[in-house]
Amino acid sequence: MTTTTTTGTPQAQPAGRTDVLRASGVTMRFGGLTAVRNVDLDVDSGEIVGLIGPNGAGKTTFFNCLTGLYIPTEGQVAYKGKVLPHRSHLVTKAGIARTFQNIRLFANMTVLENVLVGRHTRTKEGLLSALLRGPGFRKAERGSEERAMELLEFTGLAGKREHLARNLPYGEQRKLEIARALASEPGLLLLDEPTAGMTAGETSATRDLVLAVREQGTAVLVIEHDMRFIFNLCDRVAVLVQGEKLVEGSPEAVQADERVVAAYLGTPFEGEPGEAEAAEVREAETREAAAHDGGQTGTGENPKGEQH
Amino acid sequence: MATTDPQAGTTATTAPAEPLDPTGAPGTLPLPPKAARTLTLAGAVGTFASTMLAWTWTAEFPGDLTYYGSPVDLQTLTLAGSLLTIAFLLAGNGVRGLRWLTPGGRTAPVTLAALGTFGVAWFTAGAIAVVLGGFIHFEPGMWVAVFTSLLTVVGALGLRADEPFDPADPALRDPGPWQRFRHSLKAPAPAAARELPGWAELLTIAVTFGVGLFVFTYGIDTPYGELFIGFLILVGFGATALARAGLSQRLSKLTAKHRNITFTAAFVAAACFPFTQSSDQYTSVAANILIFATVALGLNVVVGLAGLLDLGYVAFLGVGAYAAALVSGSNTSVLGVHFPFWAAVLTGAGASLIFGVVIGAPTLRLHGDYLAIVTLGFGEIFRIGMENLDGSSGPAVTNGANGIANIPDLVIFGFNLGEDHTVLGVELGPFANYYLLMLFFTIIIVTIFRRADRSRIGRAWVAVREDETAARAMGINGFRVKLIAFALGATLAGMAGTVQAHVTSSVTPEQYQFVEVVPPNSAFLLAAVILGGMGTVSGPLIGASLLYLIPAKLQFIGDYQLLLFGLALVLLMRYRPEGLIADRRKKLEFHETGQLDVPTGGPGLSKTEA
Amino acid sequence: MNDLPQQLASGLILGAMYGLIAIGYTMVYGIVQLINFAHGEIVMFGAFGGLTAWLLLPQGTALTLALPLMLVMAVGVSVLVGIGAERFAYRPLRNAPRLAPLITAIGLSIMLQQLIWSFYPDAKKARSFPQFSGESVQLLGANVQRGELFLLIAAPICMIALGFFVAKTRTGRAMQATSQDPDTAKLMGINTDRIIVTAFAIGAAFGGVAAIAYGLKYGQIDFKIGFILGLKAFTAAVLGGIGNIYGAMVGGVVLGLAESLATAYIEHIPGMELFGGGAWKNVWAFVLLILVLLVRPQGLLGERVADRA
Repeated sequence: MTTTTTTGTPQAQPAGRTDVLRASGVTMRFGGLTAVRNVDLDVDSGEIVGLIGPNGAGKTTFFNCLTGLYIPTEGQVAYKGKVLPHRSHLVTKAGIARTFQNIRLFANMTVLENVLVGRHTRTKEGLLSALLRGPGFRKAERGSEERAMELLEFTGLAGKREHLARNLPYGEQRKLEIARALASEPGLLLLDEPTAGMTAGETSATRDLVLAVREQGTAVLVIEHDMRFIFNLCDRVAVLVQGEKLVEGSPEAVQADERVVAAYLGTPFEGEPGEAEAAEVREAETREAAAHDGGQTGTGENPKGEQH
Repeated sequence: MATTDPQAGTTATTAPAEPLDPTGAPGTLPLPPKAARTLTLAGAVGTFASTMLAWTWTAEFPGDLTYYGSPVDLQTLTLAGSLLTIAFLLAGNGVRGLRWLTPGGRTAPVTLAALGTFGVAWFTAGAIAVVLGGFIHFEPGMWVAVFTSLLTVVGALGLRADEPFDPADPALRDPGPWQRFRHSLKAPAPAAARELPGWAELLTIAVTFGVGLFVFTYGIDTPYGELFIGFLILVGFGATALARAGLSQRLSKLTAKHRNITFTAAFVAAACFPFTQSSDQYTSVAANILIFATVALGLNVVVGLAGLLDLGYVAFLGVGAYAAALVSGSNTSVLGVHFPFWAAVLTGAGASLIFGVVIGAPTLRLHGDYLAIVTLGFGEIFRIGMENLDGSSGPAVTNGANGIANIPDLVIFGFNLGEDHTVLGVELGPFANYYLLMLFFTIIIVTIFRRADRSRIGRAWVAVREDETAARAMGINGFRVKLIAFALGATLAGMAGTVQAHVTSSVTPEQYQFVEVVPPNSAFLLAAVILGGMGTVSGPLIGASLLYLIPAKLQFIGDYQLLLFGLALVLLMRYRPEGLIADRRKKLEFHETGQLDVPTGGPGLSKTEA
Repeated sequence: MNDLPQQLASGLILGAMYGLIAIGYTMVYGIVQLINFAHGEIVMFGAFGGLTAWLLLPQGTALTLALPLMLVMAVGVSVLVGIGAERFAYRPLRNAPRLAPLITAIGLSIMLQQLIWSFYPDAKKARSFPQFSGESVQLLGANVQRGELFLLIAAPICMIALGFFVAKTRTGRAMQATSQDPDTAKLMGINTDRIIVTAFAIGAAFGGVAAIAYGLKYGQIDFKIGFILGLKAFTAAVLGGIGNIYGAMVGGVVLGLAESLATAYIEHIPGMELFGGGAWKNVWAFVLLILVLLVRPQGLLGERVADRA
């Protein structure tokens, strides 16, 4: 395992923007399998960046490399100019917070307690302080609770503060995960498939939430499969395919890129019926329909008699 | 309910759902309600009366149940049970002045009280038959008790259950007798109590602890095993009956509201215990229980709060005890020093702390199972080490298998704990003195436990226990947090050990094993925490009391004690792994409730507001 | 120092015994992530089983003749207890949080000890176990007791058989699959319940063999031998890499050698004069465990446990 470390003289930035995340050459090998291969990704403050790609492309693995869950085989990750240590709690302390693809809430703790745990890294009252219960301790606890309630208000969960996390409906569990992550006051929030399994309404609410998070000053990097969500939300999109970054750019550019389409939908095969053939078939169908028109009551059925 | 299928164009009807029966579901036995009530009442009164009769003709059965008009021991227990049954029955039927007894369920408490009374009576009958050899030793009074207690149960089983059958539950569509029985033991949660003025609430708490002290004292003071068993039966069923009646929940709300008063009351009650005793005999039992319970509380920090499996915890107790013994000025100690008590405590706690860190640091970075094995090993190594440091197998430090004896009694502020003192007109012997000293440490440890639990570090422990990866992602240094818990637990045990050294007046290696008949030992400590209920304060205290008293009182089990202990562990994990006093979280960890656990008071109300 | 070959030989044989028992731990842990605390007692039951066979045979039977029967009985009893434990104590708790099966295992371990102590005739003290009479055999400069020869032959046979079983037979491969990913194994049609039972059975069987070896070596057995044997064997399993069958044997041998050499030679180290001899021999296992966990926690040959994240 080779890790190149640079002592951080951050590179010159375009005026008005600070580099929140700079991942360079990140590679992750598990034995013979290379899950992530030489990926560069930057996120600037105030940006919402999307990370898409087919299943198994290495997106979550990449996230894990960013947050110290995995130690990248090569490459480095720098947050605000400083190279990150390879321990997840230190990464969070530095300012990157995340949610998980399969929700990892503390199921048997209440909603409020979950967010309070998120505050852990921004408070320092240890065992001794807890035992002595001095004024400093009380102040810190009150402060934590206030901040936690703010976050619950922000995500719309304030009314359920005493409910157990495991009893929340799915959409609210996702929101709680975000609230919990925000509790550590991150400069960068990593969201791993935040709208998986959501209805259109919930997805739209999540979009609003992420925009509000950006308003508050946190940059966001989000993995998603819901294309509409990504393209309505992100300033920039990067595409990961089989561990490599294929394309990066504005949502429109990425959407139109035929390599991206090919990665998701595959390429046309030899002997595929072309446009001309397709038009022939459509004509033939319309003729059939016209011929049988007399016996039907015009309910919009197709020739096979199926209802819509 | 009719459903219409548009495509098929037909309407299908499903059978109408059974309307909810507002008066509950039928009881286990098909009795008309009035008959059931009368039968229960008659039976209970009859049982009451039967305790006034002689149950056996000879005083050879312990307790001397040969008198008319003066119930003793097992008869008294039966009497108490019958009174409880009557009280619940009357309360459930709306008799004025008693209604406060059953805010929750009304049938379930009656059934349980009846079963408890039945249990004590029939147990006594069986015991007499076994001890004296045959039914001919029964006096008519015993037969009456046998018959009336059975009658009470039969009547109680005919009462309608408190809760209607759940229409959604398929098993209850056509319930058999066993299901009906089980259902009859369920009870609804009590309605919120009428606000009592502050002084009344505090009085209630004080009275409750007074009653608790009485019950506990009765249990400890039982002079023979059969009485203890009867006591356990009555208390077991009685406590469950009180819980079903909703009184436990009401009490919990009160204690939650006045936490500090509750703990003060508890400790005052505990401190009163030595004053209730006329001799030191049972106070020594109480002192040992207290040591055992306090150490269990220390283990509760490690196992219950942080979820770390420590199988050699008694070794930390031993380290503290040996350290204190070495500096106690005993003539068998290698070190010729005599530390004042506070210094000895610091030494003992400090030594344990060091060992805790030494053992924990390499192991806590790894899988929890490794910690189990390492701590188990440490427990054994400690014992072997203490045995071997006798000058021949190893350097002479601990006097080997003979241990360090003749540990002098403590003298604190001129007060010699080894002597009798008269306080408030009651003579307190040495064990009473040590009991009170230990109680002081128990208070400290309970305070530490509570404060650590409700704090940033306490939350971190729960988080790490629930999902360590997620906890790390939240910025918690898992290793550090676990080490703190482990070291804290070790320190607390060391502290308790310094007192133990003086109570037992000698420390030997064989006191600190993995499992043995007399607690404390690692297996019993773990069992106390688990049996009592991990993560709560009262849990380990109750678990420790039971685990100490049961082998001590039931000497006739003799050789099979440990066998039953092992069996009890297996059964406990199979059927009630969350223990007796279930922490709400633990219950959820072990069982899927399938229900929304919404706090009472509705959404939007916080704990303090509700 | 010139009895080094002797120490090595006895260490090796001791280690082989630990290794056989360790395999039981490692197989079960590899498949269900459970430390079977009762495994030591399963071995102890096997020892008593073998003893019972001996006692049932007519007096004066030659040990060499009796040995196969004792072996069969020992293995049979161990396997029975092992399978029983799995079926009645552990299987109902398959999906419970970690603590439950662990406590159950402890309870079971205590129960098994007490069953022998209470009900086996005269088991409150140690019971003597038949040993081979006759001269010890000279092997490569070391004296090997006749009883120890048994293990020298049995252990390699067991290992080879196990290796073959795991790599070449259908059940063996199914076992590998289950230990790597039980859910997928189930989807592939593997009866994981039966595989788990097999793992318990094999572990117990090897324990039975080790039990006979123990009896032959020490000449006496008692109800407590399972505890310390179990502790050391699990140490050996961790040493070699938990979940790794070959690791278990390697770990066992390393442990046996360490114990033997330390017992013989530690006192020659200046400053450690008083720490030699048998009184401290169990301590070395523990010290070794701590060292391994500090330096190479995945064990000498690497762990083989499914990642249950």
